[in-house]
Amino acid sequence: MATSKELSDFLASVERRAFKQTAYAVRDDHAALDIVQDSMMKLAEKYGDHAVTEFPMLFQRILQNTMRDFWRRQKVRNLWTTLLSSFGGNDADNEERDPLETIDVEDDSEEPSAVLAKNQTIALIELALQKLPLRQREAFVLRYWEEMDVAETAKIMGCSDGSVKTHCSRAVRALAKELKKQGLEKLGLSDAMYQKS
Amino acid sequence: MSWYRDNMTHKKNDDLSADDIVADEMVEQQIARHMADLLNDGAQRLMPHQEQRLLLARDAAVSYLAERQAQLQYGNGHVRQGNVLRWFGDRFGQQHRMTSAALVILVMLLTLFAVQQFEWNSNLENSDAFLLASDLPPEAYADKGFDAWLDTN
Repeated sequence: MATSKELSDFLASVERRAFKQTAYAVRDDHAALDIVQDSMMKLAEKYGDHAVTEFPMLFQRILQNTMRDFWRRQKVRNLWTTLLSSFGGNDADNEERDPLETIDVEDDSEEPSAVLAKNQTIALIELALQKLPLRQREAFVLRYWEEMDVAETAKIMGCSDGSVKTHCSRAVRALAKELKKQGLEKLGLSDAMYQKS
Repeated sequence: MSWYRDNMTHKKNDDLSADDIVADEMVEQQIARHMADLLNDGAQRLMPHQEQRLLLARDAAVSYLAERQAQLQYGNGHVRQGNVLRWFGDRFGQQHRMTSAALVILVMLLTLFAVQQFEWNSNLENSDAFLLASDLPPEAYADKGFDAWLDTN
């Protein structure tokens, strides 16, 4: 059984990534925070008696399921919103935000231009990740960001190992293509990586 | 980021051999991991209110687990007490038939003794009542001459 400290350490190590991943998926920071909070609580409630080594996989599975629950609720809500909005005017809040406008540049020892380039790169990758199809994004995040192996990723996603590999490959190519489209090579990444995409 | 230039400048998608496919996968993985590194950097820079919210969420989950573990420990203490009783119960249970039979016999003997005691008291009361209600004084029954007189008459 995991101790409170082990749970705390584990959550501290994953919470930021979990929030970011969820935010890319649901595109709403407040909803993402709610989902991460729910997932943390579910982990403690239902799997608190499991070994800490099982937490990464369990937490990712809970997180993915909680996101799916969110989308299901969102789907129903959107149905009503669409019906109601047909009677109203345009909402200015629905406009797409440009991630470049919200980039924070931290005081860093690196050259300001390098920091800016890095931040812009991160923002563009985040934006490209948001645009990926759900399954590709899940595969990419679990396999490369959470550093899970193919079998673990397949188990969480409920598909075969081969599907995971396919999703991952397509995700990377799609990301590279999208980044090239955004002119990322000007920010320091080479053209060569995009030749395959 | 210049390693991209070094590593990925020579491959095209056309006419891929098995080695090319492996190399292709390796390049993909390198790209993916580099992107993941950048994403990790991005994840370290959250807004203060987001960090605060995550901290609160984590604390809530950890508090819940700590509370539940405390409850479980308390519960286990009770179960242990139960185990002690059960241990005695098991010991008792091994000789269950004999003990039950002894108890039944004991209860029967006690009941018999009580009934006999009650009957003896009742007889005593009847004798006293007979003597007191008789025409003869009680001393007459203790007199030996009275017995002899009864025999002759």
